[in-house]
Amino acid sequence: MKRFLVPLLLAFLFVFEGLFAQLFPADIFNGDYIFVPRILIIAIFFLTIYGSLKHGIIYGFVFGLLFDMVYTEIIGIYFFLFPLSAFLFWKIMKLIQTNIVLVSLVSLICVAFLEAAVYVMNLLIHITSMDFSSFAEIRLVPTLVLNLIFVIFAAFPLKRQFEKFADALRND
Amino acid sequence: MKDTTGWVQSLVATPTQYVVGIFENLKDLQNTYEENKELKKHLEDMARLEAEVYSLEQENAELTEILKIEGSIGDYDPMQATVISRSPDRLWHEVIIVNKGSSHGVEKNMAVMTARGLIGKVKSTTPFTSTIQLLSALDPTNRISAALQGDKKLFGTIEGYDKENEWLLLKGLPVEAKIKKDEMVVTSGLGGVFPGDVPIGKVMEVVPDQFGLNQTAYIKPEADFYNISHVMILTRGMTIPKAVEENKEAQESEGDDL
Repeated sequence: MKRFLVPLLLAFLFVFEGLFAQLFPADIFNGDYIFVPRILIIAIFFLTIYGSLKHGIIYGFVFGLLFDMVYTEIIGIYFFLFPLSAFLFWKIMKLIQTNIVLVSLVSLICVAFLEAAVYVMNLLIHITSMDFSSFAEIRLVPTLVLNLIFVIFAAFPLKRQFEKFADALRND
Repeated sequence: MKDTTGWVQSLVATPTQYVVGIFENLKDLQNTYEENKELKKHLEDMARLEAEVYSLEQENAELTEILKIEGSIGDYDPMQATVISRSPDRLWHEVIIVNKGSSHGVEKNMAVMTARGLIGKVKSTTPFTSTIQLLSALDPTNRISAALQGDKKLFGTIEGYDKENEWLLLKGLPVEAKIKKDEMVVTSGLGGVFPGDVPIGKVMEVVPDQFGLNQTAYIKPEADFYNISHVMILTRGMTIPKAVEENKEAQESEGDDL
């Protein structure tokens, strides 16, 4: 049972993101800003640091592919960027100590990296022609604010859950 | 794979929408009094309009019978569908996922509308779900043949979306045409896939385009692109021209209604 807990949790977060985008009242602040939930990738970040890097990268690939297939229909962007940002996160965390405040902050930084990388990718394949400053204003900053709120609520439960998962792995 | 996710999504979406529905009902109750007053005002107009529409429809039916015209480009079959998810990757991918797919008869490039107006087109289908690209997507291949209902009918294409004002751009209007504010824009049906006369929006502003050869009109869309929960997928009543169909098969990836 414990074995399935992590994939189930991540799958739930995956569906939750779609549902959040659908039900979130998008017209607050006149609909000027776009809030993107990034709780799934934050959970994967936490998994790399409290669980194991290998699992983080594998789940990054799986859910990146799923995200591409279901939500964007351009296979490759998230398939590539989820594992990459998870790896980047792990690299940064190796340089500094792993207390929960720092983990949360660095995960937000990596969300910003992910957002910017997605923007650059979309710019390259001509999905958008928006300039960076309006992207930052409309999407990047609101997204970071929203995910800060997510992290504050989810950091401790996620940490506990993945530590349990890591223990179970070690005992196997 | 996508069907499985679609199934899980609808499994989660149904109870959540129920709960959200309860909250929305409570909120609605607060505004009931104000709304009631407003609606009563409209009701008087409604009765008159209804009578007028009825007589016009009768007249139209009689006249088409006399002329022996079969069907019109405005004919369509609506199919009701419920939104089960929306892409969280908004701004780049303004798409929603609904619970009707190719097994229900949904096909690529069909027009999709809410009760108020056109919202987009079917981007892709799986047997039990389909993905709908909204008009507010920044995708430059998102083009729709549209008609402006002024004194004279003018044709152009809906190309692009102005994020700041949330206006659509109607391009390719003749430069000498006099276009007034608040004129209605509908789909023309000339693209071959969409039915005609589906409302899109109202003209807000007209500017000459880059080279001064055409005019571009800014359209305020009738439909709300944010709060969408139920949509109608429209099957064109008129036959789809052969050229369009062959073209569609030839380039499956590129889906323009042009």
